[in-house]
Amino acid sequence: MEPGEPDEAERLEWAAEFEAAARRPLRTRLRYAFIHTYKPVLDDAPYRSFDTMAQYRAWCARELPNWLGYGPAV
Amino acid sequence: MAPRFEYAQAEEVRDAFARHAVRYLFIGKSGAILLGYPDTTQDADLFLEKSESNGSAAVGALRELGFALTEPQADEIRRGKDFVQLRNGPFDLDLVFAPDGIETFESAWTRRVEVEGFPVCHPDDIIRSKEAANRVKDRESLPRLRAFREYWVRRRR
Repeated sequence: MEPGEPDEAERLEWAAEFEAAARRPLRTRLRYAFIHTYKPVLDDAPYRSFDTMAQYRAWCARELPNWLGYGPAV
Repeated sequence: MAPRFEYAQAEEVRDAFARHAVRYLFIGKSGAILLGYPDTTQDADLFLEKSESNGSAAVGALRELGFALTEPQADEIRRGKDFVQLRNGPFDLDLVFAPDGIETFESAWTRRVEVEGFPVCHPDDIIRSKEAANRVKDRESLPRLRAFREYWVRRRR
């Protein structure tokens, strides 16, 4: 099993979650899914644009706190 | 901070983009959630076809939705910058014109899934883009997303 891959118990748990979600109407699923918490730096400008995705990724790695998870996986 | 994205906002995007004939797809975790993936996210990610006419259509739709775009910002969207992050409207929106891991908009459009009128990237494309982006948060979410993809495919048979 690769690191990060689920064990059997986790797989079963996920399957149950997928089944439960499938029973909910889309409107309800969206209500549960979208949360809004402040993300430092990322949420501090009303508009940002990047010519290339590589520039955006580099900006994320350079400017955002590591704990946000936008940096490259090692 | 903008109010969170809800079903009503998703409908507004769908309807405004349809009125302006914008070619786009929901992508990323917000796309997966539309397909039934149970998880949380903070904003909606839209994959737009990169062309001046589509960019112009998107500017019209975004302004109609209440995004306060200056003329230089509108020009950037028309020209199709690869990534635009909008925090100047009624909700947060990320526009992606060239997502990692997806060759062309057309190829993703061919594989798209329609959910209540929402055009959504196929789970394979969502997974490919996250694999290619290779961010910490993507790596963490991929095993569960892949498991969902298997479930979703089985369920559609």
